[in-house]
Amino acid sequence: MLVGHFVVGILVFTLSYVAIISEKLNRMIVAVFGATLMILFHVISQEDALAKIDFNTLGLLIGMMIIVNIIKTTGLFQYLAILTAKIAKGNPKLILIYFAIITAVSSALLDNVTTILLIVPVTLVISDTLKINPLPFIIAEIMSANIFGAATLIGSPPSIMIGGATGYSFGDFIMNMLPIMTVIIIVTISLILFIFRKAFTVAEKDKKEILSFDENKAITNSGLLKKSLFVLFLTIFGFTIAELLDVQSATIALFGASLLLIISKAEPDEILERVEWTTIFFFGGLFVLVGSLESIGFISLLSQKLLSVTNGSIAITALLVLWMSAVLSSFLDNIPYVATMIPLVKSMAESTGGDYEPVWWALTMGACLGGNGTIIGASANVVSRGIMEKNGHTITFIGYLKIAFPLMIVSIILSTIYLLLFYL
Amino acid sequence: MSKYVHTETKQHTMKLVQMGAKVEVISSQMVYVSFDITEDFTVSYVYNINRHNKYFLERIEPYPIDLEEFDSTDDIVNIIKIDVEQFKTAVKSHNIKDFVKINQDFHNTILAFEDLFLYYNLPTKYVSKIKGNIEAINDIIKKASHESKRVYFGKEPGHLEE
Repeated sequence: MLVGHFVVGILVFTLSYVAIISEKLNRMIVAVFGATLMILFHVISQEDALAKIDFNTLGLLIGMMIIVNIIKTTGLFQYLAILTAKIAKGNPKLILIYFAIITAVSSALLDNVTTILLIVPVTLVISDTLKINPLPFIIAEIMSANIFGAATLIGSPPSIMIGGATGYSFGDFIMNMLPIMTVIIIVTISLILFIFRKAFTVAEKDKKEILSFDENKAITNSGLLKKSLFVLFLTIFGFTIAELLDVQSATIALFGASLLLIISKAEPDEILERVEWTTIFFFGGLFVLVGSLESIGFISLLSQKLLSVTNGSIAITALLVLWMSAVLSSFLDNIPYVATMIPLVKSMAESTGGDYEPVWWALTMGACLGGNGTIIGASANVVSRGIMEKNGHTITFIGYLKIAFPLMIVSIILSTIYLLLFYL
Repeated sequence: MSKYVHTETKQHTMKLVQMGAKVEVISSQMVYVSFDITEDFTVSYVYNINRHNKYFLERIEPYPIDLEEFDSTDDIVNIIKIDVEQFKTAVKSHNIKDFVKINQDFHNTILAFEDLFLYYNLPTKYVSKIKGNIEAINDIIKKASHESKRVYFGKEPGHLEE
């Protein structure tokens, strides 16, 4: 390894990372450009670069995006939102709780951004009808999406990446993350209800208008809905038995996606057009960027430094990773952060030979929950703000921070207690 | 950008469906076309192509024409081509400004009539009077077409009675 390659590698990585974080340029373009520079400057060969790309993660993302893009067309979310609003009899506190549950469950099974894109417009219509400020609902939904995104293997990009790197199964995530995320979401929603307790006054006539909605009208294609739900649950079941079948999650997801394309007779061009290819290419570029750092030995150097700070203690490492991930993920995009942390934690685990399971769960929790800290902390937050602003509602950085950052800290405290009680 | 467009659509369609509408959202491409016939005379159109291979065309300047559905892009291009040729001829007339004004006045009259009908309970005598006046205008148009020199032969008129 030439010193020149080492320096160039670090320089390209740093500049790419800064450009991604600054958001001055599209992050996908930066990641791909940075990746190609790594190859051009021979920091990494093209062969090795392609080997660094986790195609399981990409396949899983593409497969789930296809399934979600078909489900989206059925009106399922509108149906659920109207039904639960009616069950709540227009009571805004109950609506907030029910919508948070819908968001959480969806986010655990679909991806966070898609869940937000589906639930926020419906929430705006409901809050518009009730003539109340949508902000408490949107904040609850953002937080629920990020919290339960950590609960399953497929719930969020950090979970997908960590699952891919560690081999932890769908069942492993359920056993280790679902319980604590359930506690965290209950506490978080309760606190949101308390913080906004004065914001839930609704006139009786507006509640009655909600009751006049017909949820059945929201379903655009009941046949397609049934097929979509069948395939979705089959795919989820496939994730739980993936280890038994000796296949990886991407195979399960792409099987589900192709099966649904066949039985739904959906137009493949239209469905594939809506796959977020910029996200896929972003991941690809990122894997090469981080993989290049690995190949020049920077990651193992960094891991040795960290081990010397923590004295190799898994407990200290886990807690450090949890809190560092939470704070950094609040302000930085958690996907490149997790992409960089994965080889680092792997390297530390290989060096010590210890059981680094607590550290992996700490990284999952920190990266996902940290995203709740600021309005830029996660893609779901940014998208929510975008939709709100298009509808004339402003969420300022400070306004969100004052409410969300303390709630995020509470969730990390709960995560710390969880780690200490069960893993350390 | 497109994800925000989709979310806007979801909100509108949800409200419209709850109002009782049947709504179909079709992915399509919208195309704006404009021609500067002279420095101060522009003819512009908007047309929409969707995956059902249906094309919707509307002229928006100098005055709107009805939205029509066509089966092929050739139809759209031909309609626009003929329309532009006709306007290039028409713009040479010393009556062009009156022509545009009259069309705009017709358009405004239709809107006013619509308001009248939708906001008020119109007595039959006014309905008869308005009908009579429209017939009178049609008679003038028919008579004028017989007494005026024809200047465009690219296609036959589609709405003039013989």
